[in-house]
Amino acid sequence: MRFDWMNILTTIIFVSIVVTLILAVASYFAYKVREARRPKTAAELRRDGETKAFFTPYQPTK
Amino acid sequence: MANKPLHPFAQLAISIALIAAVVIFTLFIFRSPDRLGPIAIATLVITLASFLTLLILRHFVLVWFSYLHQRELANDAPPDGYPFVSIIVPAFNEAEVIQSSLGSLLELRYPYYEIIAVDDGSTDGTFEKMRVFEGNHYGVQVQVFRKENSGKADALNYGIRRARAPIVVCMDSDSRLTPDALRYAVRHFRDPHVGAVAGNVKVINRHNIWTKLQALEYIEGLNIVRKAQAFFRSVNVIPGPIGIFRRAAIEGTGGYDSDTFAEDFDMTVKMLAEGWKIHYEPKAVAFTEAPEELLDIIKQRYRWSRGILQALRKQKHLLTRSSGTVTTPLSLWYMIFEGLVWPAMNIFANVFFVYIALIFGMTKLLVMWWLLLTVLDVLIAVHSILMEGEDMKLAAYSIFYRFFYILTIDVTKVFAALEELVGLDMQWGKVARKGRI
Repeated sequence: MRFDWMNILTTIIFVSIVVTLILAVASYFAYKVREARRPKTAAELRRDGETKAFFTPYQPTK
Repeated sequence: MANKPLHPFAQLAISIALIAAVVIFTLFIFRSPDRLGPIAIATLVITLASFLTLLILRHFVLVWFSYLHQRELANDAPPDGYPFVSIIVPAFNEAEVIQSSLGSLLELRYPYYEIIAVDDGSTDGTFEKMRVFEGNHYGVQVQVFRKENSGKADALNYGIRRARAPIVVCMDSDSRLTPDALRYAVRHFRDPHVGAVAGNVKVINRHNIWTKLQALEYIEGLNIVRKAQAFFRSVNVIPGPIGIFRRAAIEGTGGYDSDTFAEDFDMTVKMLAEGWKIHYEPKAVAFTEAPEELLDIIKQRYRWSRGILQALRKQKHLLTRSSGTVTTPLSLWYMIFEGLVWPAMNIFANVFFVYIALIFGMTKLLVMWWLLLTVLDVLIAVHSILMEGEDMKLAAYSIFYRFFYILTIDVTKVFAALEELVGLDMQWGKVARKGRI
C-alpha cells in the first residue's frame, strides 16, 4: 500500500483548524462560566454595596 | 450614580448569545454554495486575497523596519551621564512575587536611583513583605507606602507624586528588571523630544507549552512590532512591566487614568497626542510571569483587548486629527488593525479554508497556501529569535503557534471586542501568581 502524503497532510491541517476553532470557542465559553461562578472579591462587594460579613464579629463583654 | 453591574449569570447569558450569534452568522455566510451569488463569491475571494496580501506585507514591513531600528541602535553612542531615576512599584495582592521583584531592583547596575513601592490595599500580606526592604541600601533609598485599594493607575500616580527624579520607571510588581536595564534605557532621553522608552518584556516561566508559546509571542509578535514602531519613535504601547518616562511628560498628560483597563496603552496614546516621541530599548529587559493555563491566558487577553478598545474609544478624536505628531493617528489606526481587524480576518480566513475544503475537497493549492503561511511564520520566528539572541528551541513552537495558539487568542479578541461594543460589565481580571520570578 502506498501512502499519499498529500492526503495525510491535508487531513492534519483540516482537522487541526476545525478542532482549534471549536476548542477556541469552547475555551472562551469555559472562561466566561468560570468568571460567572467566581466569588466576588472584597473590592467588588464594596463597589456593589454588598459588604456582607461571613460571620458576626466577636464582641468581648466587659 | 453608577449603574449596578449585571448578575454574573446574566453577563454569561449575554456572552453565550454573542457566541451563538457569531456562529450562526458564520454558518449563514457559508451556507450551501449554490445559493451564493457571483457577487458574494467575488467578495469572499477579494477578502481572502486582501488578507494574504496584508499578511505578507505586514511581515515584511515589520521585519524591515525592526532591522533598521536594530542597525540604528548598534551605532548609538553610550550616554554622557546617568540621570537620577525613581522606580515606582505598585502592588496589589502580590505577596508571592513582591520580594523577588524588589530584590531585583536592588541589584541594578545603575549609579543613582530610588525605589517607591506602593501597596494598593492588599489583603495577602504584600505590605509586610514590602516593608522588609524599607530604608537605605548602599545609597538606594527604598520607600514603602500603603493606601486604600483604588486600582493600578491610582497607585502609579501616588508613587509618581512622591518621586524626586526627572526620570520615572513604572513597572509591575510581578516583574523583575535585568541589572543593566536602566543604563541602556536612559540614553534615549538625550533627545529632549523623547517622552518615554518602552522596555523589552520577556517571559520567565517557560516550563509548559502555554508559557513557551507566550515567550515566542512576546519575542515575535510584540517586540518586533515595537522595534519597527521605534524606528518612527512612535511605539504605541509602553508595556506595564517596564516603561521609562520623562516625569515632565507624565505630568503634562495629567498622569494615569483609571477609566480604562489598559492604563499603559491609554498613557501611551496621551503622550503621543501631546507630541512626545516614544522609543524602544531592546536591552532594557524585564522578565514577567506569564499565565500558565489556557483560561488564564484568555482572561489576560480579554482584559487587554477590552482595555485597548476602551482607550481607543476614549481617544477617538485622535483617529482623524493629531494634536501631536502625524504618526499619532497612524499608530491608533494600526492598533485598531492589530486588535480588531486582523483577528477577525484571521478567523475568517481559517473558516473560509475549512469551507472551501468541505465544498471542493482539499486541493493541493490550499495545502500550499497553508504551508506558505507556516514557512513564513517559522522564518519570522527564527529572524526574531536571532535578533533578540533568544533560545532557538522556541522556533519549533512556531508551528503550534500557527496551528492552535494565535487562532485561540484571536477568537478571544473578537469576542472581547463584541462584548465591549455591547457594553458588558467587566472586572480587572487579575491572574493568580505562582511566584516564578
